[in-house]
Amino acid sequence: MGYIQRRNRRIFLIFLFPVIVALFATTIYPMLYAGWLSFRNYDLAKPFIPRVFVGWANYAEVLSSGPFLHALITTFKLMAITLSVQLVLGVGIALLVTQKLRGMGLVRTLLLIPMMISPVIVGLVWLFLYFPELGYLNYFLSLIGLGPVSWITSTDWALLAIAIADIWQWTPFVMMGTAAALQSLSPEPYEAARIDGNSRWDVFSRVTLPQLKPVLVSLMFLRAIDAFKIYDIIFVLTKGGPADSTEVISLYIYRQSFTFWRMGVGAAASFVSLIIISVLITLFFKSLQRGQASKG
Amino acid sequence: MSAITLRNVVKRYGAVQVVHGVDLTIDEGEFVVLLGPSGCGKTTTLRMVAGLEDVSEGELSIGGRVVNNLAPKDRGVAMVFQNYALYPHMTVRQNMEFALRPMKLEKSVVDKRIADTAEILGLSPLMERRPAQLSGGQRQRVAMGRAMVRTPKVFLFDEPLSNLDAKLRTQVRWEIGKLHQRLGTTVLYVTHDQVEAMTLADKIVIMRDGYVEQVGTPEEVFAHPKTTFVATFIGSPAMNMIDGRIESGRMVAEGISFAIPARYHVSEGQAVTLGIRPSEIKIAASDDAGALDARVEVTEYLGNEALLDLRIGRHEMVAEVPAADRVEPGRTIRVRFNEAALHLFDAQTGKTLAL
Ligand SMILES: Nc1ncnc2c1ncn2[C@@H]1O[C@H](COP(=O)(O)OP(=O)(O)OP(=O)(O)O)[C@@H](O)[C@H]1O
Ligand SMILES: [Mg+2]
Repeated sequence: MGYIQRRNRRIFLIFLFPVIVALFATTIYPMLYAGWLSFRNYDLAKPFIPRVFVGWANYAEVLSSGPFLHALITTFKLMAITLSVQLVLGVGIALLVTQKLRGMGLVRTLLLIPMMISPVIVGLVWLFLYFPELGYLNYFLSLIGLGPVSWITSTDWALLAIAIADIWQWTPFVMMGTAAALQSLSPEPYEAARIDGNSRWDVFSRVTLPQLKPVLVSLMFLRAIDAFKIYDIIFVLTKGGPADSTEVISLYIYRQSFTFWRMGVGAAASFVSLIIISVLITLFFKSLQRGQASKG
Repeated sequence: MSAITLRNVVKRYGAVQVVHGVDLTIDEGEFVVLLGPSGCGKTTTLRMVAGLEDVSEGELSIGGRVVNNLAPKDRGVAMVFQNYALYPHMTVRQNMEFALRPMKLEKSVVDKRIADTAEILGLSPLMERRPAQLSGGQRQRVAMGRAMVRTPKVFLFDEPLSNLDAKLRTQVRWEIGKLHQRLGTTVLYVTHDQVEAMTLADKIVIMRDGYVEQVGTPEEVFAHPKTTFVATFIGSPAMNMIDGRIESGRMVAEGISFAIPARYHVSEGQAVTLGIRPSEIKIAASDDAGALDARVEVTEYLGNEALLDLRIGRHEMVAEVPAADRVEPGRTIRVRFNEAALHLFDAQTGKTLAL
């Protein structure tokens, strides 16, 4: 290794050091600690009792428990609804706002606002809208002779209500990524298609969409990871209720750990769901990418 | 069926007018080249014919039908773009299939057409590749193939060779010419390269700042340029131009004077511009009484020919002489202009004074 390389490497390590420390303190250490905890019996209510090693017992309990499975399914249900709607709406709006019309820049900026709001605030805003007696949504519905809908107090509607709030917040993210990708597409093939007379649908489905696919896959990947972690909106709107109908994985873990004070079980549930989700998401997107590559 | 007529065609972008009343007739099967410097409105004119730009004023017809308000797809034209405009995610075959898709042909017909076109253009081994896996020349041929499979009545080309290196450009140029002879389709071809224009065109349309300067066969625009612009734009090295005036029936310009060929109409005292091609300046014998003294400033050796930068009186001119006759810089030689090949233009209007 030459002098410059060696010196650069030292500088590189010096600059990297604080990051490594921070990463260790906030991510790696807690993760290792949680891993250690998941094999112990640790009752947060009795912090002074020794944390006994219990082997795989916590994992066995999580895997055989109905509520955990239910939370997992709820998480996937919510993910399926929000991701598919965000994809369709996001791409649709992106196609609209990339039209060369006056004022589109402003419209695009305004559309980004929901994304910039903290999820807790988003939850509160929608709480006002959904509120059973005083909410705006039911008021507007009553104007056209509908409702009232028990948005967040009925097991039929609560998950959908959560999904709507999440869609409202995160569609702009998909829209923005798609719009950027759309604008980077070369305009000339579109002119060729105009001369050749290809229909609008053919052009969208066979020229635009295939070229957007890598970006859409990445956007959905990011959304999937986020959707798996969804917590704030649900905590504000329903706290997992009614009757556990909106209890997703993160709420289940929170309840095990901090409501029932069973830290070991909570830690085990974290690891189980982390593994399940990593495997599923990776498999899903790998297969999408493979479909892409084999076509090329 | 596929003749194209432009009648006083104008293009404006907002308040800016970029094409000023172009009149042009392209006969069926003719190869017409729009030639001119950058920004003169060639692409704009071509895109109006294609239907990608609206015609602001005037009338555009294809095959006897006014097409001003017809969608591009209904004009029976195919276009080859400067940057090829291939679909990047599709293979060569898929690119061609997609161009044929609107025609709703039987699968067997589509396959046959694509196979035939691929054969003609030598694309057969490349059919399953994507544009990124092709060289520039191959992409260019795919772009042509995609236009050809549709068997259009009219081909439009926008500087199709500008992204190729010099050698490939010559080769593809030759291929385009051959293809036109074979297909006999009407072609409107845009370029700023005069060699492309001279070699390919049946008819050259020389444009400048949105106006048509001259329309004619390659021979006509070379031998009988109507304006000083055409005279200097066509031919390489460019024609020498000297300002002078008519005195007692002769053209006089500081230190030189010529008899005026009969084909020019001039009046006494008129300010004129004289043009002489470098190849029409010949080295003369030292005792030639009618010859001029010329000091050689620079000599450029080109192989068969050499270019001599000459100072004749106060005028700087370029002469093209056989390489064997080239002279060391710094020497003074005698040269003679081929008076039969002189061009005379009105100095004010730049228009030819030929009758
Ligand atoms: N969309 C537009 N808006 C305003 N002006 C334009 C537009 N498109 C072209 N122009 C102007 O019209 C003129 C002609 O442009 P055009 O592209 O036809 O030139 P060209 O002859 O094809 O040149 P080149 O050889 O560089 O391609 C230029 O001055 C250009 O700036
Ligand atoms: Mg151009």
